[in-house]
Formats: sequence, C-alpha cells, structure tokens
Amino acid sequence: MTATSETRIGQDILAALRAKMPHAVTEERWQTNDQVTITVKLNSLPDVVRTLYYEHDGWLSTMVGNDERSINGTYALYYVLSMEGAAKCHVVVHTEISPDSLEFPSVTPSVPAAVWYEREVRDMFGLRPVGLPDERRLVLPDDWPDDLYPLRKDSMDYRFRPEPTEDNENYRFVNDAKQETTVVPLGPLHITSDEPGHFRLFVDGETIIDADYRMFYVHRGMEKLAETRMGYNEVTFLADRVCGICGYAHSVAYASSVENALGIEVPARAQAIRAILLETERLHSHLLNLGLVCHFTGFDSGFMQFFRVREKAMTLAEMLTGSRKTYAINLIGGVRRDILGEQKAATLALIAELRAEVTRLLDILMSTPNFAGRVANVGRLDPQIARDYSPVGPVVRGSGHRRDTRADHPFAGYKLVGLPVNTQAGCDILSRTQVRIAEFYDSIDLIERLLDAAPGGPILTEGFTYRPHRFALGYTEAPRGEDMHWSMTGDNQKLYRWRCRASTYNNWPVLRYMLRGNTVSDAPLIVGSIDPCYSCTDRVTIVDVNKARARTIAYKEMERYCRDRTNSPLK
Amino acid sequence: MNAFTPPDELAVKPAGLSMSEDVARMKGTLLKNIRRSAYVYRVDCGGCNGCEIEIFAAITPIFDAERFGIKVVASPRHADILLFTGAVTRSMRMPALRAYEAAPDPKIVVSYGACGCSGGIFHDLYCVWGGTDQIVPVDVYIPGCPPTPAATIYGFAMALGLLDQRLKEETHHEAAGEKVALAHPDIPYGLRVQLEREARAMAGYRQGRDIVEEFLTLIETRDPAPVTARIGDLVTREGDPRRAEIFQRLQTVFTAAITGDAS
Amino acid sequence: MLKLLKEVFRTGEATHLYPFAPLEVAKDFRGKPEHNPAQCIACAACTIACPPNAIGMETDPVAGTRTWSISYGRCIFCGRCEESCPTGAIRLTPDFELAVARKEDLTKRAVFKLALCPCCGEPVAAAREVDYVATILAGPDATPDQLARTRELASTCPDCKRRNDVDLLIRMGIERQMEKRI
Repeated sequence: MTATSETRIGQDILAALRAKMPHAVTEERWQTNDQVTITVKLNSLPDVVRTLYYEHDGWLSTMVGNDERSINGTYALYYVLSMEGAAKCHVVVHTEISPDSLEFPSVTPSVPAAVWYEREVRDMFGLRPVGLPDERRLVLPDDWPDDLYPLRKDSMDYRFRPEPTEDNENYRFVNDAKQETTVVPLGPLHITSDEPGHFRLFVDGETIIDADYRMFYVHRGMEKLAETRMGYNEVTFLADRVCGICGYAHSVAYASSVENALGIEVPARAQAIRAILLETERLHSHLLNLGLVCHFTGFDSGFMQFFRVREKAMTLAEMLTGSRKTYAINLIGGVRRDILGEQKAATLALIAELRAEVTRLLDILMSTPNFAGRVANVGRLDPQIARDYSPVGPVVRGSGHRRDTRADHPFAGYKLVGLPVNTQAGCDILSRTQVRIAEFYDSIDLIERLLDAAPGGPILTEGFTYRPHRFALGYTEAPRGEDMHWSMTGDNQKLYRWRCRASTYNNWPVLRYMLRGNTVSDAPLIVGSIDPCYSCTDRVTIVDVNKARARTIAYKEMERYCRDRTNSPLK
Repeated sequence: MNAFTPPDELAVKPAGLSMSEDVARMKGTLLKNIRRSAYVYRVDCGGCNGCEIEIFAAITPIFDAERFGIKVVASPRHADILLFTGAVTRSMRMPALRAYEAAPDPKIVVSYGACGCSGGIFHDLYCVWGGTDQIVPVDVYIPGCPPTPAATIYGFAMALGLLDQRLKEETHHEAAGEKVALAHPDIPYGLRVQLEREARAMAGYRQGRDIVEEFLTLIETRDPAPVTARIGDLVTREGDPRRAEIFQRLQTVFTAAITGDAS
Repeated sequence: MLKLLKEVFRTGEATHLYPFAPLEVAKDFRGKPEHNPAQCIACAACTIACPPNAIGMETDPVAGTRTWSISYGRCIFCGRCEESCPTGAIRLTPDFELAVARKEDLTKRAVFKLALCPCCGEPVAAAREVDYVATILAGPDATPDQLARTRELASTCPDCKRRNDVDLLIRMGIERQMEKRI
C-alpha cells in the first residue's frame, strides 16, 4: 500500500527464497513496509516454511485458516513467520486449498511449532493436514458433532448450540515414556488457579516421565462472534476479554491489525498512551507472577506482600482507564482516554512508590535461603526445544533467546523510545523469574520516558473508510510474550476473519519438555513459571505404571506437597 | 448461510436442576442466620481469568475478605458458597455440575461477573450455555466485568445478610408533555457539535466532554467582557499544559466558526 | 526473616475499611451506567454501540410504545453508551454496589410513546425523538407554524416520504407540460 520498493524490509529474504526454490512463490503482496504475504504452491508449503524458519531466523508466530470460498473459491492458510535475523520483518506464507480435496501437506514434521495450529485448523475448518501424526481434537469440546466446522462460513449460525451428547470427556492423553509409568491427572477444576485445564502426569515413583494436557475448556467461539454479531469497534472490547490479565495487549494487537490493513495513521499521542497502558498491564501481571512464585515455594507471606503492593498497579490502572483492568480504551484509529497533567503527576508518584516497595520485597525474596534451591535448575527449557517450538515472552528469554516484539518489531509508542531486551541463560524457573524482575523495572522506566516523550495533538483519528478484503497482522508484546492477531475486513462493515493468538498458546507445547525429569512436587511450580494466566491445574491423576494403578489427587494436595514437600500423596 | 431460524430454536437449552423443598427451607435458614465463617469454592466455568484475579485481590491484604470469615477452600465438599464465574462453556458444563453435586446441602450459589450473571459479551455464542443460572439455581448475582474487589465484598456481605440490596428493578413511563431539552440552546447547534467532536478527538469521550462543557458554559455565560477575550484568558490561566492545548484547539475551532459566519 | 518482619511493621494496617467506610474510587471510574429518561430521545445509538447487547430497545406497535432497557448483569462497563449518546442521557457513575438476589432487579427500563406517521398512521420513531429533531432542524428562530411543519415532515415514515416525493414530481411534471402547452 504505502510501502515503496526502496524502503521495504525483507526483500533480501524473499530473493534468497526465490533463488533456492525458483517456482515455489507465485505472488507477493506487501501490507506494510515490513509485512509481506507470499503465495506459494501447496506442495512447496512445508519446504518454504522450513527454509524461512531455520535458514532465515524465522519463528512461527501464528497460523491462520480462512474460508475464502466466497471471495476466490478456495480455503486459505497463512503461516505467519516473525523474521528476527538481520532484517526484522514478518513474512506470511499463504497457500490455497481446494474445497474438493480439503487436504494440505502438514508442516509439523519440518517445523514442530506448527502442531497446535494444524490441529486447530482441522477442528475449525475441517482442513486435513496430511502427515500430521496427532489426530486428536484441540479446541472443540469432546461432544461437539463430528462434521460441524464452526468457522466455515456456511456451516452454522454463530448461536447454534447442538444437544449435548456425551457427559464424560473422552480425550486421549499421550505418553511417550518407554518404561511403565503412573498417571497423575490434574484438573480441570482447581482451587487457587484460574483457567480450567486437565493435566496428566506420567510418573515413575516421584519423577515425571512425560506429561500431556487438555486445554480449551474455555473455548467460547470469540472468532466467530467477531465475524458475525459485532462491528469493527466492538471487537476491541471483545479482544480485551481474550484474557483477564493481559487483555489490553490483545485489544491493541487487534486494533493495529485493522489499522495496518487499511493504512490508518494512528496519532502519535494515542500510540504513546497505548504503550503506557501496556506497561501498566505488565506491572500488575509480573507482580502477580512474582507473588505466585512465592506461593508455590511455600513463602505465603511473600505472596501476600506482593499482592498488597500489586494493588498500587491496579490503582494506577483505575486512575488511567477508569477500570482496574486496563479495559475498554481502544477504538480503531486511537484511544478513548487522554492522560492529563493531573494524571501524569499521579502516575509518576505511584510508580515511584511501586519501585521502592517492590525493591524491598525482592530483596526479601532473594535472600530467603530455600528460594534459590526450589527454582534453580528446575523446569529446564532446553534452548534447542525453544528454537523448535517458538515459545514467547519470559519463557523464551529465560532460555537465552533474544525475542521481544517491542524491540524486534517496534509498534505503538515503542517507536518513540528504545528499550533493552532482558535475557537469562539459566533456562530454569530462576531465569524466567529474573527476566520478569528485570522487566518490571524496565516497565517503570518506560512509563516515565513515554510520559515525557508523548507528543501533543489528538488521540483519535476518524473519517477513514473500511475497504473490503484487506488483511494485515497486528502484534504486541504482552506480559507473557507476543500476541499475534490477523484480521481481514469484510464487505458488510464487519470483519471477514479475525484470528487471535494469545501468547500462552505458543508456550503450552514446550511445557511437556519442561516437566520431564522433574519431581511431581515441582509440577505446579513449573506450570506457574510459564505464567499461564495461572497454574492451570486442579486435580492430578497420578498413574504409577510400575504399580499399575491410577489415583486422582486433589490439586490442593498437590499444591500443598509442592509447598511443604513432606508426606507425599503418592505413597 | 442456512435459511433463517429464530435464535431461540438454534440453541438447545440444557436441563436445569431443581431443589427439593427440604433443601430450599434449609437454605432459607442458612441465608437468614449464618453467623459463622462461610467457606467459598470457586468454579471457573470458562471465564477469561479477569474475575479470578479480582477474587484473589478481594482475599489479599488490601480488601481482605477473610475479615468476615470468608475463606476460599480447596474442595467443593467443604464449601458453603459456590462461586461460579464464566459463561459456562460447553466443555465445563459437566465439571461444573459435578462440583455443584459435590457440595453439601444447603449451599449458596453466587453467580459472579457479567459472564456468570447472563453470559456477558459471550451470551449467545455456540460454545457457551449463557450463564450460571442456565445450569444451576442461583441465589446472588454479582455483576461487573470483572466485579472490583469492593463489589465482591459488597456481594458477599449482601449474600450473608450484612448489607442490604440497593439495586431494584425499575421502569420509567414517559409522562405526558415530557420533552427533551436541547443542551446549550444559545450556541448554534452546528458549532456545538464541531466543538464536541474536536474535544473528543483530543481527550476522549469522558475527559473531552467535561472539558468542552467547561468551554461551552464559558461561551454562553452573559458577561460584559467580550467572549474572545474570556476564551483567551481561559487558555492562559490554565496551569496544565495538556488542558491548555485542548482549550487552544477549541479556541481555533470557535474563531474559525465566528469569522466564517461574519464573512 | 528479619527483613520480612521489618516490612510487616513498616506496612502496618494495609486493609481498607470498606464496607464499614466508603471506598473512594478514581475520578473517572466506570461503574453503573445511569440512564436519565428525561434526556433520552430513544434514538437507539447506545443499543448499536453496546458490545455485549446489554442495552436493548423493543418496539410494541400495538401499544404504541418503545421500551429501552439495560441489564446491569450483562453490562461490561465500557462506556460506549455514554460515548455514543447524542444528548448525554447516559453516564457511567462511580457506583459499584450492584449485587442482587433477584435477577429481575438487574434490569432497568424506560417506556416511551411512539409518534405515528401523519400519512399512513404507522409508528415511525419515539415522539420525543421527532420533537428533538424538529427543534434542531427548524432552528432557534422558527415560528410555531414552521416548527409544526418541520415536525410533520420529520414524523413522516420513509415509505410515505417516498410516495409523497413521487407525487410531487409527477405534479411538477404535469405543471411543466401545462406551461409548455400554453
């Protein structure tokens, strides 16, 4: 659109790709200066994605399925790669699938990071990844009718609710262990934590051999809702509710995807306000995780202290947005609230208090003798596994990879100020915690600098028109890592397709590797360390294969065991 | 898309649970006269976590619901109060019902947050059932998205009979001869709308509206000093540079409009 | 351990007294949306802007009424209604004490009378909306007579308006032809 050939970033990558595979790429379309969509032939899809991923420092950010039959007669897949080598840009690999075959070659054997995306696109569109070993459902409930694909445009009304058929879950859990193991199921309901999720740990004695999990108990169908009941602006409020902790990051990612697609210039002041609120969200989210680390290591007074101090971040959010969750601030084209002089002064005062109080608490936490013992060398995420699965946020930065969307692909107010990327090489829970601590201080600095750097002028632009079938990416660095949204505009003042990928989605697949080889008592701590909007575990089914018996243990008991480490429930 | 079907027919309604008379009577007594600690078990029926975090905030030091003996427990078998959050997703219906069955009678069911109360923003989606009361009988509704910790404490206090309910069902009927007054009738309608739009683009719907109201009140006030001088005074007297900038923008719009009228 | 104790003593009493003392919220806190029926023109802008459909509007042509309603149980407190309201009839207040025991208590309604089309007698819009629009269109200096005419025009339904326009055109055409003949 506005991109001109001189300023486009990523042309060298495309040239190298064309040289290697002369006939694979049939079309290239630039959405912005650093966002390009290339159309490739169906058969070369796995090769193109693998080449970009492993030879050009690509990381898989998301994959979008789309039913474009009413536009061009095909289904489409878009593999979104974040290129983080010398030329930092996004390359989207697009391919078309015929509605007659509904099949495509699976990318997962060449790039493991694609596994969840391909399972999801099978659930939602009925597109079959040929060569994908995992044939289980990912997103849809176990009792959902087999041939009903919610995101196909002609399949059903968004309000359609089929009769429940099955009262028991029949999900098959996978265990790669060679020897006999015990099964430990955890979930889906739990006490201290949030989202429901069902874990199954396969153990030999006290050691975890393998783990598998069933997520998406909370699948509600937001993507379908955004394409049907809502207009463009309403979806920003829906995006807030993707996650109760880092919802604002989703709202910004969504709004910027539409803005990128239509080439809307968002005023610089609005960009700065978005970044300030994103950092406010990071403050309360990281304080939450630090509190939980205390809780899981049996240091409950620390947990209470962190939650006491965290309330200051909530007060800050309430003062700036009118709501304790930084909700309902975005519109397409800008923001709905300004930061006036009075609020600026109050913000500076509050973050100064936060800095002082948290520094004292961290000093207490780090000098607690058994803390390091519980978190060092536990829940190791091997850097190579991290490379293969594209995890995001403090999880990947704790394994030595320098990935931070704010620095790699500056968006919103981050264009106004530079920022450091914090990494740690320890690959364990301690490293991830240290990354979060460093980021907490960075957030405070960023808020201070952004308040000064924010220029005057309007906070909202209006008067643009929505043109149909434009698409682009929008992204943010949420407290848990990169959020990636892809939107395509429709011809009826509604989205044609909205694809939202939350950061934790990319972190779940590596959790299995982080759990292996650790003791059962560390499981809640490890799950907590990816900060999955909480440890998503409640009941634990432990299956001891040596004893050939399965028993279910209440999550609270597991958690107690994690804290006290006495009286093993396995005995 | 398929042929039109009324939305009510699209959605299957899950069978609700009923309560025996004995249990209902016991519950009435419990609600009236609890006089002891109340144990709460949280059932997440597919929320976004917002509610869960606010419940946490309500039981940690600043709001500290444990002052009233309200304690979050680990198992529904220990619970007096079940707290349902989320719009009840398809996958969570059975786990939620199992938790309900596991709690001993009489139990108080609290529906928490917009999703719990009515399905919230997700109310009519294919993968949800649309709120707690679609699957279990509810005693107290706590609205909010999410309810703040203070709203949570108020809700609990109300459930336990410590505070009275304030919100009541209300229906206003238009009286004869009722008319909607035009705001700022002395200012030309077109100019007022222009000023309001500028203020909203500069400072948003809330702060912008408050600022433009100040400006409009200044214009329509009868005062011997000429209006342009008074506006200039407003801009220079303003101590906050951002507000001064906004007033200046409004001044520009105003000046353009009146000079345009004159020519 | 000592550090923790020191921190505990430094902090002292952290807990807020609420509900035994009022809780002060931020200046522009988004609490209960308060609807002022006296200012409402029943234009339905808020029902379209409301993301969760908490605000709705139903027309009863038989009773000749239009009922505006809000469910605080479904509201997400985003303030889009306040933002879209052309007359400032709805504003979010700092009130957060909304818990109820009866679900019906979460609903608030306002019933307005409908204006009928002067040509066909079908309901068009709320009478107060027609009045409001007519006042603006006629301008501040309009005579009562002018105002009445604008009001009639504003309350004509789109179908009748179209029919009237066609009639008018035909009449004009005939007149022009008559002029030519003469």
